[in-house]
Amino acid sequence: MSSPLVGPPVAKAKSLSCPNCGGAVEIRGFAHTLSVVCPSCLSVLDATTPEFQILQKFHGKQRFQPKIPLGSRGKIGEIVYEVIGYQVRESGAGEDAFGWEEYLLFNPYKGFRYLSEFQGHWNFIRGLSALPIETRAGMKPAVQMLGRSYVGFDSMSAKTSFVLGEFPWQVRVGDTVKVDDYVSPPQMLSSEKTEGEVTWSLGEYIAGAQLWQAFRLPGSPPSATGVFANQPSPLAGKVRSSWRTWLLLNVLLIAIAVLLSAFSASRTVFQQDYTFEPRARTEASFVTPPFEVTGHTSNVELYIRTDLQNSWAYFNFALINEESGHAFDFGREISYYTEGGETEGKPVDTVTIPSVPSGRYYLRVEPEMDAKSARMSYRLAVRRDVPHYTFFWLAGLLLLIPPILTSIRAASFEASRWRESDYAPATDGGD
Amino acid sequence: MLNHPLFLLYGALLIGGATVAHYRGWTTTKISEQKVLPKSIRDNPGAYRSTYGGYSRYMGGK
Amino acid sequence: MSAPAANCPNCGAPVAFRWSSAVQTTCEFCHSILVRTDVDLEKVGEVADLPPDASPIQIGAEGVYQNKSFVVIGRIMYAYEQGGWNEWHLIYNDGSSGWLSDAQLEYDLSWLTQPPEHLPARDGVHRGKKFNWNGKTYEVTSLTTAHYKGVQGELPFQYWDKADAVFADLRTTEGDFATIDYSDSPPKLYLGRPAEFEELHLKNLRLFEGWA
Repeated sequence: MSSPLVGPPVAKAKSLSCPNCGGAVEIRGFAHTLSVVCPSCLSVLDATTPEFQILQKFHGKQRFQPKIPLGSRGKIGEIVYEVIGYQVRESGAGEDAFGWEEYLLFNPYKGFRYLSEFQGHWNFIRGLSALPIETRAGMKPAVQMLGRSYVGFDSMSAKTSFVLGEFPWQVRVGDTVKVDDYVSPPQMLSSEKTEGEVTWSLGEYIAGAQLWQAFRLPGSPPSATGVFANQPSPLAGKVRSSWRTWLLLNVLLIAIAVLLSAFSASRTVFQQDYTFEPRARTEASFVTPPFEVTGHTSNVELYIRTDLQNSWAYFNFALINEESGHAFDFGREISYYTEGGETEGKPVDTVTIPSVPSGRYYLRVEPEMDAKSARMSYRLAVRRDVPHYTFFWLAGLLLLIPPILTSIRAASFEASRWRESDYAPATDGGD
Repeated sequence: MLNHPLFLLYGALLIGGATVAHYRGWTTTKISEQKVLPKSIRDNPGAYRSTYGGYSRYMGGK
Repeated sequence: MSAPAANCPNCGAPVAFRWSSAVQTTCEFCHSILVRTDVDLEKVGEVADLPPDASPIQIGAEGVYQNKSFVVIGRIMYAYEQGGWNEWHLIYNDGSSGWLSDAQLEYDLSWLTQPPEHLPARDGVHRGKKFNWNGKTYEVTSLTTAHYKGVQGELPFQYWDKADAVFADLRTTEGDFATIDYSDSPPKLYLGRPAEFEELHLKNLRLFEGWA
């Protein structure tokens, strides 16, 4: 058994009395703790000397209460940590001033970590020793660390305004550092600069609920407001996968449309040529001989081709079922003008009649023209079951709605995130 | 892709709907009026006057 | 690695060396600093009780780094303005010597390396200065004036009652680590990498009250 040079083999926690007020002070960070705050009088004491000299007395106006009590232990990522320190930091002035909380977590083997909380958003932070590469991302400053790119989010002067518990450094209320934050959600890379020295830390967004469970805290965590700098988007991969699903559905839609068109019979069931003499005084209307419209209920297409030249004609049609007398009644106007080198209208017309049950049909035709027009020759052709794409175009359009909505929601989330940034593309109001 | 079951259902309904519409020969515009006409039309087509008759809107010419 | 046994010239207690190449060790019982000469052990000084320290590593701790197992056989303790740190001396299973730095539970492994170029003098080094070694750019991230606090166990060189010394820490963008030790002339270069606690697979560590 060796007699150790460094105190007992088992490091012990320490208790002492505050030299200012006599209150009990506990040291749970072993010899790491360099400064400790008396929980009673809030004086900052020097933990490196046996007398625990008073380094700073409390002059603050308010006392903050940590949301996770000092001494709490919780497991994050399979490692148990104890909360041993707490500080409140502030930035900005007047109306723009805001504050956030930081918790010092300790495990005597794994080391120190930090939790920061702002408006219900939590981050689990550790110090980094790797050196980042300072670059730019477009208009914004950026940083590359171990192959990952982080975009500049904000830059501020952070002042310690309240402290509680123990710290492995000499803490003082009023300590000020320059902080630069860079984000790559869910991570945030931060640098803290004091005269000439820079330390980098890496934070990962963590849900309050996860911490409440890890530290077995009563009640619920404070609810998060707004979108935080490195908060992961709930729509992260969804935009891309939504558009991929859209592509799949669209391909399916097109394939089915092509298939159905290929299987459309487009069978001509009636065709006849006629002439119409507008100057004749006879009855214009007539009926065609009957024709068979076969197959399942589908559409019927009527095609009219005229030899109109610089005039118009109006046709009144009725497609009548010979047996039931059921009729589809409609009118079509055809005009064609080519005067002066410009063309207006067409000498042909096509009309689709929907949902025509099979059966024997005939057409009642009644043409009408300007009384002074020349004679018109025309052809009527009736086809059964022609391809009609309108509903597929409609379906294609409606299919766009979900991925567009997802893209809008994702963009809106990111807009909320970057609204809080110092480097937002459009800043309204002052900084 | 299968992260979006509701989207797939919606898409299936749209494609199914378009298929049924195509099969049954629907159109998006109502171009005709449907009625039952007496059989005498075959013998005397001039006796029937459609609501679509008497086209007087278009005066023709430019 | 046979351990030649000897007796402490001060108190007669048995002194065993874990490492055949150890130059210096400390007597566990009378805290004398003993240096190995050709013939026997010579007492060169005494080390007072080291200040309280919270490193979980202790002499006799064992670990494995990248499939090479090691034993902790010695330490040098430093303090500086903002705290303190330990340089633990490791012996790997191939008999080679290395160092494990524990600064507030941030661990860095390093090995004494022949400098690829002539190292500048202490006043020729400043924060931000860059060096190009082995194809990587090392940048000085901190300059620390260290106060020697004490030694314990076996070391590969003579080291005791040192005056203040300057250490330059360097890092690369790929995560490498280096230290220039200005406690002696010429300065020594150590190259290495940071290590996560889990990567070291340590056992036989120090115990802490309240922590299993």
